[in-house]
Amino acid sequence: MPKRKLDPLPAAAFQILLALAGEDLHGYGIMRQVADQTDGRLRLGPGTLYSSIQTLLEAKLIEELAPREDAKLGQERRRYYRLTTAGRRLARCEADRLADLLRVARTRKILRGDYV
Amino acid sequence: MSEKIYSWLLRLFPSHFRQSYGEDALQLFRDRARDETGFLPAVRLWFDLLFDLVISLPREYFHAQPELVSVSAQRAHGTPSFYILGDESPRPGALLFGAVLASCALVTFSGLLSHGGHSRRFRASAQQQRAALSPSTVRTAPTSPGGEESDSLGSGENAAIASASQLDATIGPPQQSDQHLRGDSRSIAFERSSPEARDTGALSRAPALLPGDALNPSAPDNTSRQAEGNAPLTALPSAALDAAERHRIVSAAAAILVKYYVDPVAAQKTADALLSDEKRGDDNPASDGMAFAELLTKQMREVSHDNYLSMVYSAAKTPPLPPHPPRPSPEELARYREVMEQSNCRFESVKILPHNIGYLKFNAFPDPSVCGAAARASMASLNRVDAIIFDLRDNGGGYASMVALLAAYLFDHPVHLNDFYDRGENSTEESWSLPPVPGNKLVDKPAYVLTSSATFSAAEAFSYDLRMLNRVTLVGETTSGRGHMGSPHQIDEHFTIRVPGIKVINPVSKTNWEGTGVAPDVRVDSADALQTAETLALTRLHKK
Repeated sequence: MPKRKLDPLPAAAFQILLALAGEDLHGYGIMRQVADQTDGRLRLGPGTLYSSIQTLLEAKLIEELAPREDAKLGQERRRYYRLTTAGRRLARCEADRLADLLRVARTRKILRGDYV
Repeated sequence: MSEKIYSWLLRLFPSHFRQSYGEDALQLFRDRARDETGFLPAVRLWFDLLFDLVISLPREYFHAQPELVSVSAQRAHGTPSFYILGDESPRPGALLFGAVLASCALVTFSGLLSHGGHSRRFRASAQQQRAALSPSTVRTAPTSPGGEESDSLGSGENAAIASASQLDATIGPPQQSDQHLRGDSRSIAFERSSPEARDTGALSRAPALLPGDALNPSAPDNTSRQAEGNAPLTALPSAALDAAERHRIVSAAAAILVKYYVDPVAAQKTADALLSDEKRGDDNPASDGMAFAELLTKQMREVSHDNYLSMVYSAAKTPPLPPHPPRPSPEELARYREVMEQSNCRFESVKILPHNIGYLKFNAFPDPSVCGAAARASMASLNRVDAIIFDLRDNGGGYASMVALLAAYLFDHPVHLNDFYDRGENSTEESWSLPPVPGNKLVDKPAYVLTSSATFSAAEAFSYDLRMLNRVTLVGETTSGRGHMGSPHQIDEHFTIRVPGIKVINPVSKTNWEGTGVAPDVRVDSADALQTAETLALTRLHKK
């Protein structure tokens, strides 16, 4: 059976990397952060979220931290995740690739206005 | 409540996912359910969850790798660790594949059983059978599958026929139960020979319930075969043999051959060959019982060309065969009756074909004391047909008394069907059809018998005897060719020799179908036999 691939990087995985770029987060934190950074358009469900997290962990793009409580969310201990150097590098590469695409799109006058 | 529903939905995920993230996923659900209150957020939450299920479930199943999970990955280097297989639950596709594979294996296995193993089941002696039921085990000498099969079946069946006929003809009510027993074993043997028999499993268990069979001199074949069938489960070592032992066994075998084997000339020749082989030292390499029995079987068959001759070795000690078989217990009789009733006494199809041609397909000749009513009912329902077809293509034989019962419908007087000659006893038993049936209208109707290469024993007797009386036309293939019956003769606690000792002698031809089979009048592929017989019957009816 094939392993899950990160090439091309799936949108969900990229969003998770971006969410973790700012701070270490637990699963629900990642989900909310992704929802925030996409204006609520992408709400990761548990299946998608944790299978992406698993894939990213296997690729060593993120790492798991010792479980701890989130004071805001009660007494439950949660697994936190942190972006690794490789993960940060990959996120940057992906952002660059998208930026390149964006430049091309601009030169092709696909975008209206200059707000992006 | 909703959390319960979601935890139930989570079970759809593969186990490796649930183990790793099941709790986290539930936690995430709880977080969202707590934070997103109100009707619309709740609807959105469930929409998200269901959408997520649809998206991620297939991915988890198709992309999750049943990889070797390295425990050591999470442990310090240098620490001993194991690789374990992820305990992912099987995918539906894998389950389906497994089911198909298992079915194939089952079919193959049962096919092998019905072709290679069935005769062996009945091989060991009755005592051996009982031994097999207890923890002790029995081993018999393997012989060529084909020969052995027909051998054992033939001998058991024939013996059964003989005994049944004798009982029917001569023995009063007190012995009736003995007859049932023999009949049982015999009919079972027949049925096993029929490749199409579907209820062989049920029937084959019957002999195990009939210890009496084993004790019957004619029937022990069956039980012994059964014990042989159990042989693979058993693992008693074959005892070592020295030259004196071998000589004792060879001498005894030769004496039994000369005394009991139906063909006196072949008997002497075979016995001489056994003795001279032994003298020449051919037997020396066979140092254990199993190999020795195989060797003797081979030597006997080389000379006699009779595949029903065999030497059987049992690693377990077998008690001597008692002179009189015990009667079957009421439970055994009840079981036989139940099996027969469940299968409509093996009368598979009774119908009236176009142009008022009666068709009766039956796959055994069961005990009339149990199945007489079913047989009479079948015949009565065909009483007004203009021609009748007996389909014996899948008939594995059974009771001679049932042959006599059914034959009675075709004659207006009792007819002499055949004789059973027992060489050891130097006695002959006659078998006659039963008296004419009142109200029967089939006496002068054209009758056809469909045969195949699987038609066996009593079914061959029915075909052959009625053909010799010019009462039926045979359509189909040459039958199996079993006209002798064997009985086991114990040499000692381990060695038993099975010798065809009884033969059917037809009063018209003065011979039987042993080895040659019953040749059809109209030779067609058995699959086309029914159509051919219908055409023949129709032609004949039109001529009238």
